[in-house]
Amino acid sequence: MYKILEKKEIAMRNTWYKIHAPHVARKVQPGQFVIVRAFKNGERIPLTPVMWDREEGWIVLIVFTRGKTTARMAAELREGDEILNIAGPLGNPVEMKKFGKILAIGAYTGIVEVYPIAKAWQELGNDVTTLHVTFEPMVVLKGEMENAVGRHILETVQIDMTKSFPENMKNVTKRLTEKVRELLEKEHFDLVFMVGPSGDQRAVFEVVKEFGVPMKADLHPIMVDGTGMCGACRVTVGGEVKFACIDGPEFDAYKVDWDVLISRSGYYTDMEMMAMQEYMKVLQGGGQ
Amino acid sequence: MAVKPKLIKERIPTPEVPVEERVKSFVEVNLGYDFASALKEAERCIQCPPEYAPCIKGCPVHINIPGFLKALRENPDNPDEAVKNALRVIWNDNTLPAVTGRVCPQEEQCEAPCVMGKVGDPINIGKLERFVADYARKHGIEEELLREFMANGDGTKGRVAVVGSGPAGLTCAGELAKMGYEVTVFEALHRPGGVLIYGIPEFRLPKEILDKEIAKLRELGVEIKLDHIVGKTVTLEELLGEYDAVFIGTGAGTPKLLNIPGILLDRIYTANEFLTRINLMKAYLFPEYDEPIAVGEKTIVIGAGNTAMDAARSALRLGTEVTIAYRRGREDMTARIEEIHHAEEEGVKFEFFLNPVEFIGDEEGRVKAVKFEKMRPLEERDRKGKRKIVGTGEYVTLEADTVIIAIGLEPNRIISEEATGLKTNPDGTLVVDENLMTSIPGVFAGGDAIRGEATVILAMGDGKRAAKAIDAYIRRKKANA
Ligand SMILES: Cc1cc2nc3c(=O)[nH]c(=O)nc-3n(C[C@H](O)[C@H](O)[C@H](O)COP(=O)(O)OP(=O)(O)OC[C@H]3O[C@@H](n4cnc5c(N)ncnc54)[C@H](O)[C@@H]3O)c2cc1C
Ligand SMILES: Cc1cc2nc3c(=O)[nH]c(=O)nc-3n(C[C@H](O)[C@H](O)[C@H](O)COP(=O)(O)OP(=O)(O)OC[C@H]3O[C@@H](n4cnc5c(N)ncnc54)[C@H](O)[C@@H]3O)c2cc1C
Ligand code: SF4
Ligand code: FES
Repeated sequence: MYKILEKKEIAMRNTWYKIHAPHVARKVQPGQFVIVRAFKNGERIPLTPVMWDREEGWIVLIVFTRGKTTARMAAELREGDEILNIAGPLGNPVEMKKFGKILAIGAYTGIVEVYPIAKAWQELGNDVTTLHVTFEPMVVLKGEMENAVGRHILETVQIDMTKSFPENMKNVTKRLTEKVRELLEKEHFDLVFMVGPSGDQRAVFEVVKEFGVPMKADLHPIMVDGTGMCGACRVTVGGEVKFACIDGPEFDAYKVDWDVLISRSGYYTDMEMMAMQEYMKVLQGGGQ
Repeated sequence: MAVKPKLIKERIPTPEVPVEERVKSFVEVNLGYDFASALKEAERCIQCPPEYAPCIKGCPVHINIPGFLKALRENPDNPDEAVKNALRVIWNDNTLPAVTGRVCPQEEQCEAPCVMGKVGDPINIGKLERFVADYARKHGIEEELLREFMANGDGTKGRVAVVGSGPAGLTCAGELAKMGYEVTVFEALHRPGGVLIYGIPEFRLPKEILDKEIAKLRELGVEIKLDHIVGKTVTLEELLGEYDAVFIGTGAGTPKLLNIPGILLDRIYTANEFLTRINLMKAYLFPEYDEPIAVGEKTIVIGAGNTAMDAARSALRLGTEVTIAYRRGREDMTARIEEIHHAEEEGVKFEFFLNPVEFIGDEEGRVKAVKFEKMRPLEERDRKGKRKIVGTGEYVTLEADTVIIAIGLEPNRIISEEATGLKTNPDGTLVVDENLMTSIPGVFAGGDAIRGEATVILAMGDGKRAAKAIDAYIRRKKANA
């Protein structure tokens, strides 16, 4: 049982949890994740420690309200409550070395996973530029990012309430690819890294490929155990089947079979089902 | 009571939930004996002398079978006393009888050589073991016995870390606690039990019963730390710094996948994912439980071991038609006979000599059919004594909107990848010596982690043997210190 020390909504549909989990805090490295089970009848979902204090034994999770479990967490958990299970750290840490000039991209809440990695790369002597593309009310970690890396670029997209959510998401994809192209045309990067929906990861990869810049991506297939026991998280990389939870979650974007990943995660179809406005009502109405 | 033994050739049957009823739920299929029928069955045993009794030799942990049957028979008018004495005999060798009585393949172990089998049915040893455990639990007989067994349980002899809470780890932990060690179990998942909790379904092993068996260990002083993945949360080296010895019972939980086209299509599950969702996460109770599970109308299960049978029967209970497709023949199936029989009764269909070569998907990336090559058996046998098979070059395609792959499991690599000093065989199993010690001094291992996929009782036997070896190791270490 892991106590919630702090809980706050830091942006629309983005909740910050500071949790006492010393077993994770003492070991976690950038690129690793945890599996959380918040409720007695609940499922296990993967989330990423964004910050941690090894001595005080806490980690911070920032969770995007996406479906049932994350919505229940946002609505039902209070400061002082306990989370039933946090297993981890899981997955492999990202490679910690001097790559040179790095462009680290986060789409939507993906930026929270970029944060610990980008920060550590910068501290190691890399020149890191972070790019966050999201809807305007969903900006998170702006100040933290600016402090942590060489340059933080924030690109926001307005939500057009007259249009469907998937339509709105297309604008994010467009802005992302345009901005990446603009950056790569003007500057030389030694590495591009990205966290975000797999459709956006592929769209960005298509641009990066034109410039021949190496690219890594954190993949987000569905996970159950997170310890290599079920194969739910399988992806094809370099023609081989890999389990993202133990072989990843970070992979060489040039080797990933994006078609299969996208059809397996069905990210956009899920998003479609959630009427954005419904959600805003839930949040404004205090979560009942 | 020197009465001439009258041989009763036929088994006293155990009642089962009728097929029509049980396929609609996950209730336990077999209802087990009551005291009167258990007594009758026990009385069929001709009490071969313990030093010779073939049933004892057939049991991998050598439970004194005639001994516990005798204990039952000695108190026909006092069931509580009879069961207490019988359980004492069983616990000497096996601390999880409610589990083993249910899941052991007795027909290949204790019951296979039973003398009574030569003249009629062998004694129903498994169901009797289960009866003793169930009755004791229901009638509060365990507490009293536990106190007896805790005589040494002061935890002062040393500290041992056990990795994995499957039958191997739990047994090792229990034995060490009984000897007086302080034991901590590290388990990656959020519930202890290993395959017993996430693999074997409720209709064979009710989880409530398992939880109680595990609670017993906690009473013996064993601490269980959940959510701890050794190799990630804590390293083997760190454990060795803090504990006098370590036992690795991490099982063989990584599913093998078929390396054929279409393997990543939607609605193709590994049996482990399917069973984990159902057993551990109770997805069959969705939406009362959050974990979803999706099956279509036609499910194909590939494989014919216990895992395949469990997956098939679970899928059936979610309301889909189920066909088991196996590349060998009926007599080559490795699942327990009782389970194959139950699956057939419940309406699972079987197709033999079919080897999958491709999964065919629809436009949305969902599986819609499986293409198989027809196989043919040869006279020649493989290492495990199974007939070899060859392809015929003929193909057949079966429709399916859900596929469950149950072709085998291999050891999880998390620990061996992190602790590089730990020697493994090419198949990922850990190398151990005759004392079950690994290549790292003070680190022992057993169960599926050293055998690959095996059985519950073999894992328990290893756990017990390792506990003895650990005790000897720690004594030696302390004497030399
Ligand atoms: C390694 C990793 C790290 C992650 N870190 C974060 C993080 O720090 N912050 C954050 O907000 N989100 C993170 N995610 C995504 C997060 O796990 C999903 O948003 C969450 O599982 C959705 O659950 P839900 O029940 O609310 O949504 P639903 O859409 O109802 O989910 C239904 C099912 O799909 C699974 N699922 C759905 N989407 C995903 C997904 N993208 N990835 C994995 N499983 C999914 C869920 O586990 C659940 O079983 C991470 C995912 C991975 C794989
Ligand atoms: C579906 C199914 C049905 C079966 N039916 C039968 C049957 O009817 N009869 C029979 O005799 N046998 C059966 N078996 C086989 C039997 O279950 C296994 O042989 C037995 O469980 C092995 O026990 P174990 O303790 O070695 O490992 P497991 O039961 O596999 O337990 C290993 C435990 O270690 C944990 N673990 C793994 N890695 C780590 C780590 N790094 N850190 C911490 N914890 C870790 C796992 O989460 C797991 O809880 C079946 C197996 C399956 C899959
Ligand atoms: S072999 Fe059969 S008859 Fe002989 S002691 Fe064992 S159970 Fe009884
Ligand atoms: S989540 Fe089960 S193997 Fe990766």
